[in-house]
Amino acid sequence: MAFFSASVSLSRYRIMDDVNDQLLREAPERLVKHAFQDIDHTADERSFGWVCADDYLDSKWKASPPEKGHFLIFSLRLDTRRVQPAVFKKHVAIAERSYLESIEDPDKRFMPKDRKREIRDQVMLKLRARALPVPAVFEAAWDLRTHTVYLASTNSKVRSLFEDLFTLTFELALEPLTPFFLASRMLGEEALPRLESLEPTDFPG
Amino acid sequence: MSEGLYLSERESAILGQEFLTWLWFKSEHEGGRFKAGDEWFEVYMEQRVSVEGGSGDGKEVATVAGPHAEMREARMGLSTGKKVNRALLRLAQDGEEWTMQLKAEDFAYNSVRTPKVDTRREQGEDPDGMWLEKLYLLEKCIGFMDLLYRQFLEVRLSSIKWPQELKAFRTWLTAR
Repeated sequence: MAFFSASVSLSRYRIMDDVNDQLLREAPERLVKHAFQDIDHTADERSFGWVCADDYLDSKWKASPPEKGHFLIFSLRLDTRRVQPAVFKKHVAIAERSYLESIEDPDKRFMPKDRKREIRDQVMLKLRARALPVPAVFEAAWDLRTHTVYLASTNSKVRSLFEDLFTLTFELALEPLTPFFLASRMLGEEALPRLESLEPTDFPG
Repeated sequence: MSEGLYLSERESAILGQEFLTWLWFKSEHEGGRFKAGDEWFEVYMEQRVSVEGGSGDGKEVATVAGPHAEMREARMGLSTGKKVNRALLRLAQDGEEWTMQLKAEDFAYNSVRTPKVDTRREQGEDPDGMWLEKLYLLEKCIGFMDLLYRQFLEVRLSSIKWPQELKAFRTWLTAR
């Protein structure tokens, strides 16, 4: 559990829209609706969705509910099948050679562009089906008092995936609390013109 | 991400870098002691700091890791107009300690260490207790940082206080 590892990396967001009570009541169902779907028995490249924060194998929240005190806590699980480039290269070379050797007339042994692309796609599919999906889990906590959301990752791809899935699940937009947005939240809208016209300070003078 | 979020990147970089630069000065100037309401807490810039200057192709970054006394290179960077873009910070209150690496441009909190939370559960104990304790500690540390940021903004956006603060900053910078 990332929050409990020796050190944790955190991104912080503010929910930009109004959050009503009905939406909060629906939150557990909404998480289930966008829960993680296993791809162990498919050849899909990746799958992502929500899982229980206490057990990343649990996408039905049997282990524990997401409501914990004044927080909603859940995890984003992302499984990815990775095919090593060197492995892919080797199997493409084998498949291409086998295709060329299957042409009886040595003068006609060439590889059309379309066929080359087809071979690469087939090889990728075959290798992907043999690769085990690698799971990654990122915890998130939504403080229901302040509607601040914490994500246990600062990776830009993970952040983007999380932001999109959060909005899709709850129909709420997230604003990253970067220095500018944090300042505008602290100081209110009237400070915006001043914040937007800031010029860098020459500290040493 | 909407256009507005991209447009704010310039302002975020200015505010974030100037906040961390100010915090280095302020934490040394105030002996690391800050006040939050009636409570006191301590903030120190630790042995790892990164300063950045210039822009585009002319961007220069100097990262210094070492005991306090050997952070001369980063401090020299400040005197040539560089600003802090990454800092390892240590926060303390009532014998409890937090450390974190804060990135100026987006306020990403990396490698946050809080006081230890016991994750072993006693029988009958609230299973959510450890989550709430951990989040309490994380929010407490972020709350202290927000408080410092608010103090910075008050000074930074004041046409009277900011020139005075810069004067004190320059005295601090040349005195070392």
